Amino acid sequence: MTTTRTAAVAWLAALALLTATGCSGADRPAGDRAPADAAKLDLTATTPAAEDALAKANWLLEDEPDSLDLDAQGTSAGRIVLTNVCERLYQLQPDMSTKPHLAEKGQASADGKTLTLGLRDDVTFHDGSKMTADDVLWSLKRHADPDMEQADEFENVAAMEKTGEHEITVRFKEPDALFLKALAGDAGIVWNKARVRESGKEFGTPGQPDACSGPYELTRWDSGDSITIRAHDAYWGEQPLTREVVFKWATDSALVNALKTGAADGAYAESPNTAAALRGDKGLSQYYGPSTASLVLIPTARGGMQDDRIRHALSLALDRKGIAESGFGGLVQPWASPVGSGAWGYEKDTFAAAQKKLAAGAPASPDADDLAEAKRLVKESGAPTEPVVIGTDASQGRTVTANAVRAALQRIGLKGEIKTVPTAQFEEFYSDEQARGDIDLLVGDWYISKADPVGFYDNGLSTSPNNWVGFKDAAYDRLVKKALGTLDDTERAGLATDIQQRFVEAAVWIPVAQVPTILVLDSELTGPTSSQAYLYYPWAAGLGKKKAG
Amino acid sequence: MTTVHAIAGRISRRVAGLLATLFAASFVIFAAVYAAPGDPAVFLAGGRDKLTPERLAQVRAQYHLDEPLVVQYGRWLWDCVHFDLGRSFKYSDQVADLITARLPTTLQLVAYASVLFVVLGVGAGILAAVKRSTWVDSAVVGGTTLAASVPSFVAAIALVSLFGVQLGWFPVTGAGDGAMDTLHHLTLPACSLALGALAVISRVTRQAMADAAASDHVEAARASGVPERDIVRRHVLRNALGPIVTMCGLVMAGMLAGTVVVETAFGISGIGSLLVGAINTHDFPVAQAVLLLMVTGYIVVTTLVDLVHPLLDPRVKEATAR
Repeated sequence: MTTTRTAAVAWLAALALLTATGCSGADRPAGDRAPADAAKLDLTATTPAAEDALAKANWLLEDEPDSLDLDAQGTSAGRIVLTNVCERLYQLQPDMSTKPHLAEKGQASADGKTLTLGLRDDVTFHDGSKMTADDVLWSLKRHADPDMEQADEFENVAAMEKTGEHEITVRFKEPDALFLKALAGDAGIVWNKARVRESGKEFGTPGQPDACSGPYELTRWDSGDSITIRAHDAYWGEQPLTREVVFKWATDSALVNALKTGAADGAYAESPNTAAALRGDKGLSQYYGPSTASLVLIPTARGGMQDDRIRHALSLALDRKGIAESGFGGLVQPWASPVGSGAWGYEKDTFAAAQKKLAAGAPASPDADDLAEAKRLVKESGAPTEPVVIGTDASQGRTVTANAVRAALQRIGLKGEIKTVPTAQFEEFYSDEQARGDIDLLVGDWYISKADPVGFYDNGLSTSPNNWVGFKDAAYDRLVKKALGTLDDTERAGLATDIQQRFVEAAVWIPVAQVPTILVLDSELTGPTSSQAYLYYPWAAGLGKKKAG
Repeated sequence: MTTVHAIAGRISRRVAGLLATLFAASFVIFAAVYAAPGDPAVFLAGGRDKLTPERLAQVRAQYHLDEPLVVQYGRWLWDCVHFDLGRSFKYSDQVADLITARLPTTLQLVAYASVLFVVLGVGAGILAAVKRSTWVDSAVVGGTTLAASVPSFVAAIALVSLFGVQLGWFPVTGAGDGAMDTLHHLTLPACSLALGALAVISRVTRQAMADAAASDHVEAARASGVPERDIVRRHVLRNALGPIVTMCGLVMAGMLAGTVVVETAFGISGIGSLLVGAINTHDFPVAQAVLLLMVTGYIVVTTLVDLVHPLLDPRVKEATAR
């Protein structure tokens, strides 16, 4: 048993290394074990609460953080570390809802154009100084700087000022429903102004202290080796169970081996195939949680995909379950909307009900009726003879998806052709219209950082650079604009499901699967969040041993 | 006096040659990284949802990516001659700091692997040459042929799954702290790196010794009754050292640039992974600095080999003196 498993790991590693060195190759799930049943993945946002303290945890990242100044360079590796060290005005909860945090309360005016933030007065930074309204205002202005990453979250902001000892007032050009969600993300981090200034240009690089107020403080960053955070004794909130977390980084086989041998206690697996290779390992538990990430097919306006009937036909004929199982070890879930369930940060029941209704247009495995309807749509559109060019890179998951798309096209009487590009070039499909000039369909993926579906559906606006197929619907544009300015959750959820219906009906993008957050953890430990909130919530503070003793 | 002049002249010629090579290499490298597929702004924009034309333009302006190649290169060169390697696009840290943090690990790895392949490779080669046409020779040739055909990443995976995961004798990731721990951590990586080189070196050693053994003066020595042991040591091996040392130097210099695969397999952050990461994300300042460092390393090692040669083989000295 052990031998076959090792052989599987070895192959996974061999192929993964090929990818790492730039040759064609792929990360693939272990072939000798049955994949998880994709349709039955149970997504939970939290893991059972920990009961006992832990002196030190070894955590793995998939890459070294670029910088710990998330304004300059925000990567998930940096966020996983920093979310335990830094705090935000609002806090994303494991269930993906948003709660006031460093801001005790936020009060929107009746017209929605003014937001008054009442700040906590008991927060201290790690250097012992008190958090003041000046720190908050300075931080917000730093985030809003056009050179900084979060600048786009402040597009609707007209002015920000200090209006009291513990009060900040933000004025908007137009009401902005997503602004509070942004404050639970990187746009809401409160920096210790004096500290950031002291570090100057070096802020966020190895050897510099942090400038935050969270449960952990940054004690060491040895460039190229490890990052250590330690529980801050004078933390203004509750003390965490785990005293110290040491982060190291590794990819593919090295990551799998480190977890397997116990050299690392846990990791958030960014690639489902890494987790698939570790399934069934007795010393490790796996938790799957809601995330906004999804696998999608993004059509362009070049060839046959221009016709929405063809896009629908493809959606009906696609074997999503097959893709999930052979491409991703069953660790992604066939899905009927282009954004994962982690985006449902409010009114979950409304969104869940709407999702169920969409399932008919995006079956997990197409049946005879689906195929008949798809063929009818193709016939009605005049059955284009030019092959559909499918753009992908050489990774296992995308290759399987591209082949499944080609199979689906064949099943309904169309031709498909796969165009494979290197990974470095793949990202250009997203940014450069010319780069996608010779493909009809991109095997893509997407996620959003704010837990609100409305934050996704602006991709369907007629002016959006991500609306490649040229979908134009004045009513849709109006609804999105309205939803973006609607602060009431119930009302916005209603608008959002309406928008979603229109987006899916027009098949602006074709949904394939939702990609859960995957937490791989030593079986003796528990506690961290298992939803996408691990990027914005102090997950390490909950980490600890299962039972006392 | 003349010898001092001659030496000074030789050194200055070498230094000038080095600088010219570096200059040419730096431009070629810069142009190559510039021309590689992929748009650096895409990696710097901060996520898919931020890939709007406006944000990309903003990023390009911020990092001077909108300027022509020659202007960007000139800017880099100007800073470089002022001893400023610049800041990494990706890490926003000083390039010099990034390299200093990672170089020791890679150097240790290469040094360890070099010790392994020199000692074992030359040893196996001598053994095969001395026991020529016996089963020992066949075993060495066969074994090294097999070793040469195993790419280092396959060796890495085989070693790690056997000695790391199954037997648990060696750690599977990281580079360790402190001398003994580092040795423990780097054993498997060094072995996988040395395996291919070991084959090449033993083959070269065997062949060079066979050639030397066939020469007239060895025959003469043998005829005049010099003990076989002394013949091997003083005549055969001595004369064979030139090609062996040259080959060892070249292989070692090549290793400096070839650690990435092994670093990835063992989760070691060294110069190799830094370089590949930098090339993939178009991090010009880092790629440029690391590649130049590798070119310099290669030149230094090969120059050292050139300098050592005359000491090993008096015939070379005479040739250069003339």
